[in-house]
Amino acid sequence: MNGHAMKAAVRIQQEDFSQDEEISALRASSKRMGGIATFTGCARDFSEGRSVSRISFDAYGSMAEAEMNKLRAEAIARFTLLDARIVHRVGVVGAGEQIVFIAAGAEHRAPALQACHWLIDELKLRVPIWKKEITPEGESWVTSHP
Amino acid sequence: MIKVLFFGPVAERVGANTLQVEFRPGMRLHDLHQQMQGLYPAAFEIVCFTAVNGEHVRDVQLPVADNSEVVFMSKFSGG
Repeated sequence: MNGHAMKAAVRIQQEDFSQDEEISALRASSKRMGGIATFTGCARDFSEGRSVSRISFDAYGSMAEAEMNKLRAEAIARFTLLDARIVHRVGVVGAGEQIVFIAAGAEHRAPALQACHWLIDELKLRVPIWKKEITPEGESWVTSHP
Repeated sequence: MIKVLFFGPVAERVGANTLQVEFRPGMRLHDLHQQMQGLYPAAFEIVCFTAVNGEHVRDVQLPVADNSEVVFMSKFSGG
């Protein structure tokens, strides 16, 4: 044991996450993994023509986690992944900080890359999480996702 | 009772995260939507998804069982 309890493959949490830990956990699931693709979503400090100092996330936590688990299972089946992990933060995230992390591992690179792209697109469509941009001029909920 | 939840921009427009609505026999999702829309028209301008007990529901004619958890949601913006 290295002192780290194994974290769940799908999580919603306030605290920041370690990409190294997530990728290590993914790699530990199989030695047949030849390709790992990852996506990291970060908080931009500029949006719609104004500066953004922080982003606040609200989530329908139980459903969001259930939908993320469904997405992971669907991606594993659809792209024949060996494993996948999804972590999304909620609460207040400062500009430049990490928001979401997706890692997809497969025997070869193509399905890993395709699954990673599919997962972030589907997450945006299906997972009940909402972001509010906090700017020096005030706060506003984001209602579109380009 | 039906537990109605709101999140993010919808909660802000309603001014609450949770409401308790009295259950009526024969109640359908559509009836609950109409009732809430009448009370919070500005919030329902942006409502486009509904979940019942944590599952997406598209059929508004679905009967609502007593003690259900119903959530009226705006377009998601996670990620």
